[in-house]
Amino acid sequence: MLVLRDLQRQYTKFRLGYLWSLLEPLGMSLVLWLVFSVLLGERALGLQPYLLFLSVAILPWWWFLKSVNSSTKIFRRTRGELAFTSLPPQIWVLRTVLSSMIEFIFSLPVILLAVIITRDLPGPWIVLFPVAVILQFILLYGVGLLVSSLSIVIPDIARIVKIILRAMFYLSPILYSISNIPEKLHIVAAFNPLVGILGLYRIGWWPEEQVSPWALVISFSVAAAFLIAGIVTFRSLKPRILKEA
Amino acid sequence: MSIVEFDHVSIALSKTKRRKGAGRSQRLRRFAGETKRQIIPILNDVSFTLNQGDSLALVGAKPMARTSLLRLAAGTLLPDSGTVTRSEPIVPMIGIARSLGRTYTIRQNIYLIGGLLGMKPAEVQEKLPGIVEFADLSSVLDKHLGTAPPITRQKLAWSIAMSMDARVYAVDQTLVVGEREFRQKCWTRVDELREQGATFIVSSDNSKLYRRFCDRALYFADGTIDADTTVPEALAMARQARFAARDQSRAPKSEESDD
Repeated sequence: MLVLRDLQRQYTKFRLGYLWSLLEPLGMSLVLWLVFSVLLGERALGLQPYLLFLSVAILPWWWFLKSVNSSTKIFRRTRGELAFTSLPPQIWVLRTVLSSMIEFIFSLPVILLAVIITRDLPGPWIVLFPVAVILQFILLYGVGLLVSSLSIVIPDIARIVKIILRAMFYLSPILYSISNIPEKLHIVAAFNPLVGILGLYRIGWWPEEQVSPWALVISFSVAAAFLIAGIVTFRSLKPRILKEA
Repeated sequence: MSIVEFDHVSIALSKTKRRKGAGRSQRLRRFAGETKRQIIPILNDVSFTLNQGDSLALVGAKPMARTSLLRLAAGTLLPDSGTVTRSEPIVPMIGIARSLGRTYTIRQNIYLIGGLLGMKPAEVQEKLPGIVEFADLSSVLDKHLGTAPPITRQKLAWSIAMSMDARVYAVDQTLVVGEREFRQKCWTRVDELREQGATFIVSSDNSKLYRRFCDRALYFADGTIDADTTVPEALAMARQARFAARDQSRAPKSEESDD
């Protein structure tokens, strides 16, 4: 209920640049599509049509990136508010994740556009798309709690997170498909929770790209572990966070 | 009836040093072991009970210690040791004016701050006309706050906080704000609240305000409660402590000159 308040706050910032939330990922996927599909030719990275393949993964990635990146700064930005608000400080993490999620939802027309361009309608598995959204939300909330509270104790966390995120971009099946990875490494890859989530996003268009159910289970338990770790760390660091304000 | 109970509360905060060279060079120095992040004790073994209808003044403590105490009372800061128990929610009027967003309109700010203070949207909607009228801002309700002068921000923050029908307030410096007319309005409202049985914890640099408003004072020395008395006595103690400190700092100098 009070989260609505925070969302409204975000929304006001937002109207200034609503179009940007469309153009940013669109530009990104166009550039990557140009490089990997047109310039590098038919090297069969990922699945066809590549433009659609990319944009379906880029948008959730964008959400992930923004949310984690801004989690590192939450409590430095909300110093003044922490001194008087009666809300629990978790609400700021929730707000960051939610507002970037809304941005993600607003940018979904990019996928629609890609569908129109490529004339490739999704199959019945598309019902798993919202499931992926929910799972990503849970993952992000966990990561956000963890990162935001740790970055209070160790300010350098923000830089480290940036590097990790950069690595994650290439280690997750965004530019390529999971089937581009050697079979043996699939289980290792599954420990990256994004693998399972991105698999669910894409399953509507490429059901043959099935991630094995085992891998899905591992991905999701990693996400759950992040959530638990986040909650525990946050709870133990709460006095520190409040002191910082 | 007790509203807030402090039981052997202690807290230490890390002091942020603002020496030359902020940011990276500061961090590098810390890395090289040249400066350490100082952790200084703010409050030490503080125990007291606040009863309903009290107007408590905090005398003799440093501003940071007063703010910390208010925040501890309101629950926006957790003690290192000891416990704080509250029987009623407390409205913390601590730095609200600073948190008003300049990119939002005044209406949005009211909803935002009201929400942060714990009001539900419907409640805010109900109180909106009253708040705006009190702060004399009805003509600019949908304008952006922008670079509005601090006095306007304070008036707005004050009106939002005081519109809450809470019965306990923790006030940092801003018991009355604004220009003379507005201060008069503030006094009327505050006195009215007190007559209705509201409880206040007040922190201020203005001893006249303490004299006028508070009926109980805590005198602090070095983060511990030295006395729990009336306002005039506490102020007298503070003055004595100041004189003593001045004499002490003078004394060695005079010895040197004698040599």
